[in-house]
Amino acid sequence: MEIELEQGWEIIERGITRLKNILEGLPEPKFSSANYMELYTTVYNMCTQKPPHDYSQQLYDRYRESIGDYINSMVLPSLREKHDEFMPMELVKRWENHKVLVRWLSHFFHYLDWEFIPRRSLLPLREVGFICFRNLVYHAFYRDLRVWVLSLIDQEREGEEIDRALLKNVVDIFVEIGTGQMDYYVHDFEAAMLRATVAYYSGKASNWIQEDSCPDYLLKVEECLRSEKDRVSHYLHPSSEPKLLEKVQNELLSVHGIQLLTKEHSGFHVLLRDDQVDDLSRMFRLFSRLPHRLQLVSNMFWEHVTDEFPGLVQRAQDAARNNTLQVKDDSVSWYIFLSRSIVTLFGLVSSSV
Amino acid sequence: MTEMRKEDTVKLISAEGFEFVINKEAAMVSQTIRNMLTSPGSFAEAQHGEVTFPEISTTILEKICQYFHWSLQYASGKETEFPIEPELTLELMMAANYLHT
Repeated sequence: MEIELEQGWEIIERGITRLKNILEGLPEPKFSSANYMELYTTVYNMCTQKPPHDYSQQLYDRYRESIGDYINSMVLPSLREKHDEFMPMELVKRWENHKVLVRWLSHFFHYLDWEFIPRRSLLPLREVGFICFRNLVYHAFYRDLRVWVLSLIDQEREGEEIDRALLKNVVDIFVEIGTGQMDYYVHDFEAAMLRATVAYYSGKASNWIQEDSCPDYLLKVEECLRSEKDRVSHYLHPSSEPKLLEKVQNELLSVHGIQLLTKEHSGFHVLLRDDQVDDLSRMFRLFSRLPHRLQLVSNMFWEHVTDEFPGLVQRAQDAARNNTLQVKDDSVSWYIFLSRSIVTLFGLVSSSV
Repeated sequence: MTEMRKEDTVKLISAEGFEFVINKEAAMVSQTIRNMLTSPGSFAEAQHGEVTFPEISTTILEKICQYFHWSLQYASGKETEFPIEPELTLELMMAANYLHT
C-alpha cells in the first residue's frame, strides 16, 4: 500500500509532462477529474506516509526543479530566437502559460501548501513558481523589454500608432513579477521611464520656448499633460501618474517659467493688457500646480498694476486741473481697468483652485 | 426543495460506486474539490462534474456531504452541532484531511 519515491514520482511526472505538452500546443488528451484526483492523491499519499517514507521535502524540491527544467529546455530557447516586437510577444505568451502551469501544478501539489510548507515556514508553491520565472527568464530579458517599451512610448509621443494592448501586457509583467511588491516595476522600469520622459520633454521645451508664443506654448503644455495622463490610464501602473506628471510639469513649466511669462510680445503683461481671459485661465490652471511659480505670477501682476497706475493717476490729475470732460473718462477708465484686472485675477484664482 | 440545475451540482462517487449529487457550492467547502473545479478550463475535460474517491467509503462520503451542507448553514449563522458517530471519527478525520476541509 505504501508508495516508493520513484514509483510515485513516475505517476506525477507523467501528469506534469502532459501539462507541459498541452502548453506547448502538442496534441494531448485533456485532464479528466479522475486524472486530476490521481495526481493529487499520489502527492497526498506520499506526504502522509510515516517517515522515512514521508516524501514532502523531495516533492517540494522536485516541484521547483520541474519548473526550472521546463523553463530551461523550452521557454528560454524559444525566447532567444525572437527579435524586435516578437520577443515581447513571445514573453507575454510565455508568462501567461507560466501562470497556468503554476496554477495547475500547485493544485496537484496542493497538500504541500496545506501541511508541509506552513509547518516549515517555506515559500508557498505559487511563489516558488513565480520566482523560478523571475530568476531564469525575467532577469535575462527585462532590459531588452524595457528598451522596447520606452522606444514605443517615444514613438507614440511623436504621433505614431502603437500596439497599446501588447504594451500593457508587457508593463503588467513588471508589476506581476514582484509577487505583490512593486519593487521590480519601480526599479527596473519606472525609474528609466521617468528619466526618458525628462529627456524627451526637456528637448521639446527648449525648441518650443524659442519658437512659440506664450499662449501657444501653454496650449502645448496642456495637451502634453492630458496625453501623458491618457498614457498612464492605458498601459502604465496608476501609481506612476503623479510622478510622471510632476516630471513633465517640471520640464515644461518650472524650468522655463520665467522666460515664458516674460515673453516680449505674448507674455503675461500682454495677456493682461489685451484681456486674453482664456489664455490667462490656462496659465493659472497650469501654474497653480506649482505654488512657487504662482507666486511669481502674482508678483508680476502687481508689478503690472503699479507700472500702469502712476501714468493713469498723472493723467487723471492733469485732466482734473484742466477740468475737462476727459477727467471723468480717464478716471472712469482707470477704475474700469483696475476693477476689471482685480476681478479677472480673483476670478482666475478662484476658478483654478 | 427546488430542482437543482445540472450546472450547479457535482457528483461525488464513493469506493463502492454510490453516487452523491450535491450542490457545487457545498462541495467547494473542500479546498481540494474547489481547486479541481476551478482549474483553467481548456485543460480539463468538459466538466461533467464527477469525482470518484476510490478510497472513501460510502458511509464516510455520505457523512462528508452532510458536513458540507452543515458547514454552509453554519456560515450563514444558523448554529447547530454537527453529529458524528464515534466509530466514524477516525475515518472521517482522514477523509477531511484528504479533502482539505
